[in-house]
Amino acid sequence: MIDLSGLPLPPDAPPAGSCVRVTRPEPGLVVLALDPPHRSLAVFDAPLLRDLDLALTELESDAEMRALVITGREPLSFAAGADVKTIAAVREAEIAARFVRAGQQLFERIHRLSQTGGGRVRVVAAVGGPVPGGACEICLACDRIVLANHPKTRIGLPEVRLGIIPGWGGSQRLPRRIGVPAALGAILQGKLHVPYVAHKLGIVDRLAAPEDLVRIASAIALGKQPCARRERGAWSWLVDRNPLALALIRSQAKKQVLAETKGRYPAALEALDLVSRGPSTPLTRGLEREVDAVRRLATGSVAQSLISLFLLSEEAKRLGKRADGSSAPAIRRGGVIGAGVMGGAIASLMAESRIDVRLSDLSRDALGAAELAHRSDVAKALAKRRLERSQADLALDRFEVSGDLEGFARCDLVLEAVAERIEVKRKVFGELARRVRPDCLLATNTSSLSVTAIAEGLPHPERVVGVHFFNPVKKMPLVEIVRGRATSDETVARASAFALALGKTPVVVADVAGFLVNRILGPYLDEAVRLYEQGADPAAIDAAAVDFGMPMGPLELIDEVGLDIAAHAGSSLVAAYGARMRTSGLLTGLVAAKELGKKSGRGIWAWEKGKGGRARKAGLNPKLPKPSSSLDARLSRDELTDRMILAFVAEAARCLDERVVASERELDLASVFGTGFAPFEGGVWSHARRRGLAAIARRLGELAASPGVAQREGGRERYAACPALG
Amino acid sequence: MSPSPLSRAGSPIVVAAGLRLPQARAGGRYAGEDAAGLGARAARELLARTGLDPAELAEVIVGCVGPPHDQANVGRVLALRAGVPRQVPAYTVGRNCASGMQAVSEAVTRIEAGRGELFLCVGLELMSAYPLIYNRRATAFFARLAAARTLGARLGVFASFRPAMLAPRIALSEGLTDPTNGLIMGKTAEILAREFAISRETADRYALQSHQRARAARDSGRLAREIVPHLPQGARAGEQPLVHDDGIRDEQSLEALAKLKPYFEKPDGRVTVGNSCGITDGATALVVTTEARARAHGLKPLAIVRSLAWAGCDPARMGLGPVYASAKALAESELRVADLATVEINEAFAAQVLACAKAFASAKFGCDELGRGDALGELDPERLNPNGGAIALGHPVGASGARLILTVAHTLTTSDSPYGLAALCIGGGQGGACVLERCAS
Repeated sequence: MIDLSGLPLPPDAPPAGSCVRVTRPEPGLVVLALDPPHRSLAVFDAPLLRDLDLALTELESDAEMRALVITGREPLSFAAGADVKTIAAVREAEIAARFVRAGQQLFERIHRLSQTGGGRVRVVAAVGGPVPGGACEICLACDRIVLANHPKTRIGLPEVRLGIIPGWGGSQRLPRRIGVPAALGAILQGKLHVPYVAHKLGIVDRLAAPEDLVRIASAIALGKQPCARRERGAWSWLVDRNPLALALIRSQAKKQVLAETKGRYPAALEALDLVSRGPSTPLTRGLEREVDAVRRLATGSVAQSLISLFLLSEEAKRLGKRADGSSAPAIRRGGVIGAGVMGGAIASLMAESRIDVRLSDLSRDALGAAELAHRSDVAKALAKRRLERSQADLALDRFEVSGDLEGFARCDLVLEAVAERIEVKRKVFGELARRVRPDCLLATNTSSLSVTAIAEGLPHPERVVGVHFFNPVKKMPLVEIVRGRATSDETVARASAFALALGKTPVVVADVAGFLVNRILGPYLDEAVRLYEQGADPAAIDAAAVDFGMPMGPLELIDEVGLDIAAHAGSSLVAAYGARMRTSGLLTGLVAAKELGKKSGRGIWAWEKGKGGRARKAGLNPKLPKPSSSLDARLSRDELTDRMILAFVAEAARCLDERVVASERELDLASVFGTGFAPFEGGVWSHARRRGLAAIARRLGELAASPGVAQREGGRERYAACPALG
Repeated sequence: MSPSPLSRAGSPIVVAAGLRLPQARAGGRYAGEDAAGLGARAARELLARTGLDPAELAEVIVGCVGPPHDQANVGRVLALRAGVPRQVPAYTVGRNCASGMQAVSEAVTRIEAGRGELFLCVGLELMSAYPLIYNRRATAFFARLAAARTLGARLGVFASFRPAMLAPRIALSEGLTDPTNGLIMGKTAEILAREFAISRETADRYALQSHQRARAARDSGRLAREIVPHLPQGARAGEQPLVHDDGIRDEQSLEALAKLKPYFEKPDGRVTVGNSCGITDGATALVVTTEARARAHGLKPLAIVRSLAWAGCDPARMGLGPVYASAKALAESELRVADLATVEINEAFAAQVLACAKAFASAKFGCDELGRGDALGELDPERLNPNGGAIALGHPVGASGARLILTVAHTLTTSDSPYGLAALCIGGGQGGACVLERCAS
């Protein structure tokens, strides 16, 4: 019996024995299916582990059995891995270790039944649909893995992305199966592989149509059909167990991990260690190491933060539903007005997400550039096998271009990404309103105008909504859904469902200047510029933010988004919020001189073409005005960090007070997905709570009184505490 | 005179809307295209611009002479790629150069019979993609090779290899040859040139006029009314979309035409590549329905289909097909040649169009060949192919039938008389003709 004491039991946990279905379709063959009645997709929670234990106990004494097929409720519904909510709820390292041991023991018993493990039964996993983490690890304990060949199937070990490691034998069995280098690639990146790639890497042994999955797996288990497993053979000795080769691989991989994680994410280093030592240590010892690693990681703040963010992004999927739980109707045909970088990329993403899209622009050149960019993206997806030829063809077909506003009549949503001028946007929506159905959503991608103001005077203003994407559209995971004064609940649900259909995470925000993300970024970015103006070293400014955990320094970020865009966003914040948002004049001067950042070659930094056409930093822009004072010249790194990060935190607190966002949790999600705010902190508000709200309020008071802040207009207001900070 | 139009339940059958892609010389701008993809682009654009819900279509009918080998029913592939829902069926029709008109003819017949009301008709040809084919001996060789099981047997098969097996069959030229008489289409034009005494110079002059008229039509915006620009697949960064048919030669001259050697009959032939249509890619999409249905969808129909007729003739004189078919179509619509504001006769060859014009005007031809007491009627040269024709615009074989209907429909919007005629010659000895009438607004 496995020990599950202390693990949370879901309130709707079904009676013992009901989560696993055991059938004997023919003599000698047993089919074990995970089928927990309380889950739409099985997860390894306490009830399922309990029932798997019961089932295995029964099978271990089944002398008739010579073939065992482990499968899911349906070919494309196996399991979503270990229950993330269980891990999130565990606060004691010992209980986490118990959870790990429970799974390890169960999978080890499957392994001992199997021929590979010296048993008498041929065990075949027959899986499909999502097969992440623990779901993949149970397969690895079997003799053979047959995977459903279907676009919905994804298999892999993504644990590192949640700040933990594959702890149910995955870090040990995968390198034994596919070799250390390939296993490191799979586990450190945490990629979920499509069937073709999984088969090519050797993670699975055979692909089969979902309809044939269990039949073929049964035939293989009964020995009626051959299924070879690719052996590592001599490679195992030359690489996986060769101390010299391993040392080289480890040092290379470690360098890469440290470069990518800056040492913030201990799970990647733990995984690197486990995987590279895997094949050369006995399995039992390796499994013990997994337990130790989880004990160190699972209750740590990084794992808890990453898991919490994962759960938050899952919760965001509820926004696409109506209050009564029904789904908002899907957007099947959409339009995008304005074929600039944003509009073009949004349209391209829609076409890739199986939405018919019509992109309109007055400029044929802009349309042509957008169409070519779309084709090149689709070609890349095709090359990486994310799309098959026929799907790629459809993704190209679905992308229509138009030089005028004709052809939008059947659209369910039209999104405008035209110039940020209210009269232009109103004109576009006014003309569209005459051409589309009254229930066609009119979405604006504005970042600086009021959705309510844009909707004014339009027929059916309840269908006008802000759908604010971030640049670069295909990479940034967050979309702000902006509710104007007239926007209906149905519109918010449909717009959120639209964002989800594009693979984005929606967050509903109020129609205030800058909405949520740009509003909290504004003071942070401006403070970085102020620090430079007041004598701080620009490299130290960027380094302080990166050290804190931001994805790039604020000065570099300004160059990335473009000085013109940043200045425009800044000035609209000043107009709305007054003194505390007052921006330094530095950017406007540079914008006037056409020094716009990366896109023009020089902004705050100077940029040159580096490897692969990517921009590379080449010192400060020589035309950058010199600092006007030396007030901040001697600030320590911590002081620099506080000046920037606490400006961010203080504005986030005001957003909570003003209900710009519905909850602290959504604020956390938006701060990480929208600004890249240190994910290992779990978001801005988790960070604030960890540091202590009272301590932050105190520190804000000190900063407000410090010379670099107090002596300039609006400085004190920027660092004023507000009710959310207690 | 009140001729009775083709109709259903009292409502005339109409071309409700239509558009086409610019036509491109084969092997040129559309060389990176896929046949169904190219047609789908035209169909999708038409569905978008009309606002029609494709789920309401009775069927999609596509005319295409040479569907790619992997898209035998290219119509179905096209429909699905154009976003037409899967429950709407689709099929491909072929009547050689009139395949696009055949698609319209199918729709008209179906509507008349009450078997469907709303049809999407596409004429499509991607001649760039016509393949080279292994000859029969090579095919047999590969079949033997696949069947050989042992090494010895395989070596034996290899020994039977002959270099002649490498000679490909060219789908394009074989497709343009009539297997019943072995004549390639250009030769049938030579036969007509001799029979109707059309000189090389007359033919060249006509070809020059085709380019000049096409250029004028392009520059005045008359062609742009029917064209949607298209950025071809495979375009590179900075490449502009194709906006016009790229076969129009602004600098064409009699001198340049005179320099060309006869292509089909050396040395005395009169047909050159300069006074023939070019090998071309293109796609034209039309919505065919009843006037009542069109108006119910908020569409102002382009033109009423008065009549549509097919006729057979001597395969060796296939170029005269339009005369026979026009005689039938005019009779069915109770109209005379003099009633026509515009006439499009597909310019397969200059000599062939000129021969048709002579046959239209000839009392002898009318008596001997059409069974009438007089000539069919003289065509006004100003009203014959007023926007130029296939010699300049190109002849994507499966698309042209639909393209001519679209062009006539647009010309009728500003003409004096409301009637127009579109006709083509068809390899194998046939003609197709369609009489259109301007739709009152």
